[in-house]
Amino acid sequence: MRRKPGTLLPLETEILEVAQSMLRSGQATFHGFGLAHAMRDQNGSRSLTSHGTLYKALGRLEELGLLSSHWEDAAAVEGRPRRRLYALTGEGARVAERARAGKTIAPLAPLTSEPA
Amino acid sequence: MTPERMAELVARWVRFYTRDLPEPVAQRRIDEIDADLHDHIAHERANGAGEPRIAIGIASRMARGLAADAAWRGHQSKIAARPSTREKTMKVSRSVYRSAVRVALGVALLLLVPLVVTLTSDGEAWSAFDFVAAGVFLAAIGVVIELAVKRVGNLTLALGIAVVGVLAGVAGEADDAPGLVLLGLVLIVSACALGLRAWTRPAQHGR
Repeated sequence: MRRKPGTLLPLETEILEVAQSMLRSGQATFHGFGLAHAMRDQNGSRSLTSHGTLYKALGRLEELGLLSSHWEDAAAVEGRPRRRLYALTGEGARVAERARAGKTIAPLAPLTSEPA
Repeated sequence: MTPERMAELVARWVRFYTRDLPEPVAQRRIDEIDADLHDHIAHERANGAGEPRIAIGIASRMARGLAADAAWRGHQSKIAARPSTREKTMKVSRSVYRSAVRVALGVALLLLVPLVVTLTSDGEAWSAFDFVAAGVFLAAIGVVIELAVKRVGNLTLALGIAVVGVLAGVAGEADDAPGLVLLGLVLIVSACALGLRAWTRPAQHGR
């Protein structure tokens, strides 16, 4: 899908909204599968968001400064692969709030920093 | 097919489309998908889903994301191909150094002519000041030409300089001004060099 520079795709807006609702329920960070699962539950959809679409969107939101991410502590892993944990930034929370309120999202200034 | 076999297939696909990307970028994607696949299988099993259904679910997520995977790879390849600031600085430094060497060599070669004449002729003798003044003058012309080539680099410019050179030579002959004739010759030679460079290297507009 073609997009105007600095605008969000519906999926990206949805990610921010779900992340915000998770934050409200006390979950400050989330990981890829957890997010896909939460989005499926909220949408009432039968299928999970595809890997490529989900992680591409997460990367873009991070590039835009709306999400931040870090690897979880090795101590918390307990024999499973380490998860990348994402969190809403202040700007991300603001954009999610505006999206939830149904307002037009202001164009975002593209950031030059690349995701870690 | 078991969910683990399907997850292995997805992992292979991830390794395929992250090949040749910068190691941190590729490894992050590989590790994220590994964790996702593990969580997916564990979650579905905990909820009592059948093995074939879990495997189909994983395959479906991979298949629906193929286009996004390809687009992501293209984006990351573009980022990786961008030269760093250090590389850009080194490129500019090399370019400036080469220009300086070209100008210095050109000035030295041109000053060889009056130097030989001064050494071999009794009548014509240039003083040290003449050489310094001519050197500065020729170097200035060389710098201007180098700048012009870098910014324009086309045959029109070469032709323009050649015309000015011919006019200078003709005017110098008419007024018996050897300096003007020499300037004309320098400009004509420069125009030939410029034309040759523009011919062998396409124009570099907008650099």
